[in-house]
This record gives sequence, C-alpha cells and structure tokens, in this order.
Amino acid sequence: MKHPMRNPWIYTLFTVPTLILYGMFFLWPMLSSAYYAFTDWNGLENYRFVGWSNFAAAFGDPDFRRAIVNNLIFIGFSVFVQIPLIVLCALLIASVKRLRGFYKTTVFVPSIVSTSVIGILWGFIYEPEVGPLNRLLALFGAGPVYWLAEPEGALPAVLITNAWQWMGFYIVLVLAAILAIPRELHEAAVVDGANGWQRALQITVPLIRPLISVVVMLSIAGGMRVVDIVLVMTKGGPVGATEVMASYMVNEAMGINPNYGFGTAIALIIFAFALLLTSLYQLTFGRRMEGGQF
Amino acid sequence: MKKRLGVAILILFVALSAVLTACGTGKNENANKGSEGSASPSASASAGTGGETGGTNAEPFTVSLRHIQIGEAQKFRKAILDDVVRKTEAEVPGLKFELDGVEDQVNRFTKLPAEMAAGNPPKIFDLFGGAGDALKYAKAGRLLDVTPIIEELGIADKFLNLGQFTLDGRVYGLPIGGSTEGFFYNIPMFEKYNIKVPTTLEELEAAAETLKQNGITPFAMGSKGAWVPLMLVNTLIGRYAGPEAIDGFPAGTHAWNSPEVTAAFAKYEEWVKKGYFTKGELGLEYADMLNQFVTGKAGMMFDGSWRASVFKDPAQAGELTGKVGFFPMPPVPGGKGDQTYVNGNYSNGYGFSADLNERELTAVKAFIKNMYNEEMQLRGLLEDGVLPSMKLSGDALDKVEDPLVKQIMETMRRAGGAFSHFDSTVHSEVYKESEAQIQRLIAGRATAAEVTEALQKIQEIANANQ
Repeated sequence: MKHPMRNPWIYTLFTVPTLILYGMFFLWPMLSSAYYAFTDWNGLENYRFVGWSNFAAAFGDPDFRRAIVNNLIFIGFSVFVQIPLIVLCALLIASVKRLRGFYKTTVFVPSIVSTSVIGILWGFIYEPEVGPLNRLLALFGAGPVYWLAEPEGALPAVLITNAWQWMGFYIVLVLAAILAIPRELHEAAVVDGANGWQRALQITVPLIRPLISVVVMLSIAGGMRVVDIVLVMTKGGPVGATEVMASYMVNEAMGINPNYGFGTAIALIIFAFALLLTSLYQLTFGRRMEGGQF
Repeated sequence: MKKRLGVAILILFVALSAVLTACGTGKNENANKGSEGSASPSASASAGTGGETGGTNAEPFTVSLRHIQIGEAQKFRKAILDDVVRKTEAEVPGLKFELDGVEDQVNRFTKLPAEMAAGNPPKIFDLFGGAGDALKYAKAGRLLDVTPIIEELGIADKFLNLGQFTLDGRVYGLPIGGSTEGFFYNIPMFEKYNIKVPTTLEELEAAAETLKQNGITPFAMGSKGAWVPLMLVNTLIGRYAGPEAIDGFPAGTHAWNSPEVTAAFAKYEEWVKKGYFTKGELGLEYADMLNQFVTGKAGMMFDGSWRASVFKDPAQAGELTGKVGFFPMPPVPGGKGDQTYVNGNYSNGYGFSADLNERELTAVKAFIKNMYNEEMQLRGLLEDGVLPSMKLSGDALDKVEDPLVKQIMETMRRAGGAFSHFDSTVHSEVYKESEAQIQRLIAGRATAAEVTEALQKIQEIANANQ
C-alpha cells in the first residue's frame, strides 16, 4: 500500500478533470455540430431533422462547388507556386553574408500583421484609380484593372495577398533548416568542385526535404481553411468569384437568412475534406519525402 | 494508502470545483442581475417611480444599448441619441447605459442574429422591421411587446406606420424615422451641362447620356453590398410592376418572372451595359458611392433620404454643401399602377429584449418616452434630415429650413402613396437570393430574365413553406 500510484482508480481520478474539459470544449461541440448538421435549425425557431438533405443541398449548389474548386486553387497555388518561391528565397537569404537578419525580419513581418490590416493595405494597392499597381501598369499603357471588382481579377488578387502574408513565415522555417545543415558537407562539395547551384540542389534541398514536407502539409491544411483574407478583401465576391468553403459557410450560417444547420453541415464537409487531403498526402508523397520516418 | 488516497481525492475535488466555478461564473452573474430587480422590492419600487420622485437609494445598474450611429455621416443622429441617453439616465436612479456602436450591416446581418440565436441580445438595440428581422424575432419570443408601454405613454396612435413591427396586433419595435428613396443630383453640374431636373424616364436617360458624354459617371454606385443597387431596383419594380407588387411577391399575387418585374431588372441591366454606373462598382462600398457623388465624379446618386444631412455639412459635402437637389424616380412608359407612388419606409428603429427585469423595464420605458416624442422627432428632421416616423404638428413642420429636406418632404407630399422596400416584405431566403442575383446581373453573368426566373423559383418554395 506504499504505492498508491499503482492503483488504476487514482489515475482515473486524476484524468477526470482533463477529460471533463476535453469533453466540454471538444467532444460536446463536435457532437452537437454533427447533430445540428442533420437539422434545418435557423438558430431561433424549432427545428426538424432533414436527413442528409443539407449535404445534398451543399453539393447541389454550384456556388459551393465553385468554392471547393477555389479551395483547390488555393492549395495548388501554395504548393506549386509559393513553396518553390519559399525555398528559393530561403536559399538566397542563406547564401548572403551581410544583412541576413534584416532580410529575415523583413520577410517575416507580414505574417505578424493582422489580416484585417493586410486586407486594407492591399485594398489600396489594388485600388483601380489611384492604387500603385494600376499606376505602374498605366506606365506601360494598360488601362485600369478593377482587381477586386471583376470576377476574373479578384481571385488572383486575393491569392497574391495571401501568399505575401504567409510566405515569410515559411521562409524563416526553411531558412532555419538550411542553416542547421553542417558546414562540412558544403566544404566537402566545394573541394569536389560543386558550384553554388549544384550544392543547393544536391545537398541543401535533399537535406531539408522533411521540413518541406511539413510545409506542404501545412499549406494544404491552410488552403483548406483559408477564410479571413477572403472575408476582409472581398467577402467571397464579386459574384462568388473568391468564395471558399469556409466563407461560404460563414455566409450561409450567418448573415441574411441564417441557417445554422446547413452551416454545420458545411463545417463537417470542410473537416472531412481537410482530413482526406492531408492523410492522402501523408500516405503518398509525405511518407516518401520523410523517408518513412513517420 | 488511505491517507494518501484521501489527499489525492481532496486535490481532485479542489481542482474540479475551481474548474466548475470558472465555468459557472457567467450564469451566477446573470442570476444575481436577475434577482436585483425581483428580489429587492425596495430598489424596483423606487426605480418604478424614480422618474418623478428621483429616488436616491438606487443601486447602480447598467442597460446595454446597441446603436448603429457610427462614423461621420451619422454624427447628428448620434448627438440625438446621446441626449436621450443623458436624459434617461438622469430620470432613472442608478441607471447607466452601456453604449455599443456597431456598423449597420454587421449589426443587422451578423451580430444581432447570432445574439438572438444565443438568446442574449442587448437590452435595447437597433432593429429593422419586416419579415426577415423584427417579425421573425417576435415570433421566436425574443422581443419585448411594447404595446402596453406606448399605450401608457399615449403615443400608440402617433406613429405614421407601425406595420413592419406589428405581429398579430402587437407592436414589437418602434421606427425612429421614415425614409424615401430617390435621386440626389449635383445642381451646379446640371446647370453646367444645361440639364433640367428629369420628370420623365426619357429625360432621365437623356441626362445620363449627357453626363456620360462629358466623362462623368451618371449614377454613383457601390454594389459590394448588394442592398445598395437593390434600392434602385425596388423603385423600378414599383414603377414597372406597380406599387402592389412589393407586397404581392410573398402573397403570391405577383410573380418575379412576370414581364413587368423582368422589365424593371432589364432597365437596370440596360443602364449597366450603357455604363451609367460607377466602373468597378462591385468592388465599392456604400460609403464609396457617396464619395463618388460628393467629389463630382458622378452627377446623380440613388439613395435614401437619410443621406440629406450630409449635404448641409461642409465637413462631409465640401464644395457641394447646399448644392444638392432631390427628385423621385420619374414615371416609366407602360408602367403599371399609380406612377406617382414613392418608396416609403418606416423600418429602422429600436427593439427591446424580451428578457428584462423590472428595473430594466423602467429604463426602457423612460428611453421610449424620451426618444419618441415631438421634440426628438423634430430634431431628427431638422438636424439629421430624417423624416419623422410620428405625426408632427403643422407648426413643427414649418420649422424645416433645409431646402433639400423640404424638397424630399414635398416629394412625399405629392406622391399618391408609398410602397415598402421588398427587403421587409419577402422571406429572407428570397431577399438573400435577390442580393446574389443583382450582383450576377451587374457582372454580366445573368440576364434580367434569368435573374427573375431564379427569384421566382425561391419565392415559390418560400410561399409553399409558409
């Protein structure tokens, strides 16, 4: 009896508070969401069960299907455009000797600025008449482009802003990994006659692959749940051109004619998509890139 | 072992109670607040008569008040609210209002619906009338029935129109003012290009064409919030399909896809294609529309009469101060019904939470007494250019000097009657669809016929579900 900690009941007792908190803040909201997703609750009046019709309505709505496509565009843009640029920038910053700290700080700053501020800032940049971007274009004779007002221009505009906001964060991550590579490897490569590009592509990039893999996964998850920058800049408009799944959810669950039942159904769909994509990535490329470490 | 087990259980108990206390704090506070009114008869009794006797033993209490009077353009209205707040606080012992200013659209479509769902709206809040707002909340039992209060204060029959706040004969909110929607125009610009104030649709379009030829946008517009272009659409529907159409959609007597309603959308579409509205309007906010007009980039602006106060304030209107005129939508050829009708709304005002204790109810009564009277209505009209929602005496109305407000009142006086905005008559799902569709129309993604077809489809489902 000198070892009370061997008594399983004591373990149970000590874990109870955490389990209660976990249940209250994670399990209960998730279960109640799952429950409401099958109702037509509008937040005010009595609701009834509608089966799978919320899910059917979501996939039957062309606006939601476009939102899914837009999410995939966000993911594609971050994986195929942003990540190569991130690695390139990190390689460049790692190779400079002077002012490295300055570059590091400058690229990092956007990721600590509030999304609302960034939305307003880029709103000025994209302003059709006096915005610097259109003024620059005007120098080359281009007429004013209504970036955020035209369905064709709005999505690229938001994609670029989103990339600008988050690239710095990942650059600093990748940079840390690059700087952690032992110098001897590079010195040996120099002795063997490798030039800068060869060293970057043959030594640095393979050695930071595990981190790139993590960045890819974070980008996929980020692309699935992107919403703040969209709401600040365009509210999903014009005409749904920048609508993503999460902004669609916000607009449906709240706003005019709120429908919480439908909104929670969308939330579950987003969750399922994110789970599916990240696990697909982990099971295919992710595992390979990390050399089966996980 | 037993001793240690005991200690362990004790620690666990303390931890648990700490957690549960933290979780329960909010409720306890509410319970205390709730009991303040009911369980302390002395306090409520003194508060009940506080207005007259000025009781001194009152415990302080706060009443939350949500308003939308934020920003430069609302400063006159805010000053009136501040005076009412001061006066009410002085009358009700212990009362302190907690003012919470929130942007109109955020309050109406995001914050208030969420609070209504959670059952914790502010005690007094800005509220819109109609099926999608006041009546929906009233049905759900969230709004205070103010019928006995206005009867007690003797103002029940003073209101011009309580229709948008009335459900089954009971009143659930009080409009603060009335409004009409029409064209504001830049007088010096009209003179410069020799344009006379349009009285027919032909003249209006000729004026637009003249302005366009001179490199000026005919109609300022900011369609990022779809309700802005819908103001003009609403009045076009009133002209082409008749004033009855607005109430006819939910009643099933009028169809969106009828040729008349489609003609209204088609006219809007035609103007979009002709470039009569601000370029890139889908990226511009409501405030940008005013900027377009005030800076002279646009010659006309279709907006609500509440904008009138801006044009007498040099800080907001600049060189255009006092140089703005107003005219209603002219009659349209082949339009149905009385073509002199104008849009008239008595839909924005205050609502009150159904969840009030006795002292809060006293505060609400005093607030209503101080806000809804001839003095404040007249101040609203004179200082803010907002048309009264209550009947005013002839002497009071004679005090209006602002020529623009006079023009607006004259327009309403000459009108054969008024039709509402369809945002307060149709079901929210139909209104929501109309917002999506008008933006599609503006972006050239849908024709007028496609828009009205889509709206009718949603309207039929909504009517069937009624």
